[in-house]
Amino acid sequence: MDMSLLSTCKEALALLFNLDAELWSIIGVSFRVSIMAILLSAIPAILVGFLLAIIDFPGRWVLIAVFNALMSVPTVVIGLTLYLLLSRNGPFGELHLLFSQPAMVIGQILLCFPILVCMSHAAFQGIDRRAWETARTLGAHCGRAAITLACEARFALLAAMLAGFSRIISEVGCSMMVGGNILGYSRNIPTAIALETSKGEFAQGIALGLVLLLLALVLNFALASVRGKGQLV
Amino acid sequence: MGLELNIDNLVKRFGTRELFTIEKLRITEGESLHLKGENGAGKTTLMKIMAGLEKPCSGKVMVTPKQRRWWSNRIHPDVIYLHQTPYVFMSTVIDNVAYGLKLRGGSRQEVKTKVQQALVWARLGHLAEHPACSLSGGERQRLALARAWILAPRILLLDEPTANLDRHSVSTVAELVRQLLEQGTTVMVSSHQSNRVTELCTRHLLLESGALHESSSLESSSLESVLYEVDTKMEPQHYVQH
Repeated sequence: MDMSLLSTCKEALALLFNLDAELWSIIGVSFRVSIMAILLSAIPAILVGFLLAIIDFPGRWVLIAVFNALMSVPTVVIGLTLYLLLSRNGPFGELHLLFSQPAMVIGQILLCFPILVCMSHAAFQGIDRRAWETARTLGAHCGRAAITLACEARFALLAAMLAGFSRIISEVGCSMMVGGNILGYSRNIPTAIALETSKGEFAQGIALGLVLLLLALVLNFALASVRGKGQLV
Repeated sequence: MGLELNIDNLVKRFGTRELFTIEKLRITEGESLHLKGENGAGKTTLMKIMAGLEKPCSGKVMVTPKQRRWWSNRIHPDVIYLHQTPYVFMSTVIDNVAYGLKLRGGSRQEVKTKVQQALVWARLGHLAEHPACSLSGGERQRLALARAWILAPRILLLDEPTANLDRHSVSTVAELVRQLLEQGTTVMVSSHQSNRVTELCTRHLLLESGALHESSSLESSSLESVLYEVDTKMEPQHYVQH
């Protein structure tokens, strides 16, 4: 068994370092879809988080509670909902998006949007109100003052983006249901790991798992480096 | 034309609690005012309303001549409010001082020159490249003054500028305020006690029991004349700034 595990790991490393075309196309799909999803959702979600922090309106706390609840919705539930919406008989069936990368991007946007909203709301909520007032009295219009606040909360916002990206790069349920796990087109890292494991082919699964682990390390070290020493100011 | 700030029937409430009602107040260019009042009297709120950072429940604050910016009909570019404990942005001292000037545009060289002048004026030249969050209370207050000075405001509202400062820092701030007054800037200083900064003021206002009183003497506790009284039966008006 130990020998088997060792040889599988060797095989996984060989796949990675020999630039196995199938393996790297799966990694490419994963990154393409998830980066697109995080880029499309970041600015609107941060804006919603900012507005929730700065504008007092009736029902604000209800909206915040809804976004908090949406953070914990299982990925398969999002996948199922999107599947029903995009399937041939669904309201958006005519768009023919089911089992495509755009469908995966939409699903991942739905997954990371609430995380980005809640974490950016918390980031803006933690900023001193004097920052807003100082920017405004020194001549900043509302939009510029909002950018100033975002700069003040930059580390928290980066952490929010990282958390959102981590959620979507590693999710299986939604990608499997709306992407269809089509090799070379919609098969990403998590769906490939799930498939290869069910087939008893562990080498590719381990290789892809190593990529995810490496990615997590790189992103967190990058965040830590821009954060500085991480002490109180 | 000199800048003038007029307050007309200004009312501020928090819930059912009425903080103050100010029937009339006129501030003209070059004046120096000491706004006195106990903690919770509403000094900060009044100054923020004057700066356009807060809305009154009713009444008007008019700054003339108007210089309305398309994004705000409340905040006048020539009226700047400084917090009791200044907020410094998470960047260097230079970036903090340059903040307002960059917003107004201007060439990079012009900004650089003016920032250097402001740093020298506020005696912060040796700290130019330091992170602003590492400054002491007195240095932060000087940074806030430099950040305002660089924009050449015509009305400067200083909220308790000497609170929590030692005597040396108070003297330094007083010297900077004196220079601002000499340049013709209208300065309003709020403080619940007299100090070297408030001694520079020629008008003394007392915010007490929801009303604004003016005293001609330095001892505003023994008021000689009550110019502005509460009119609690006022009709509410919409807030407009001209």
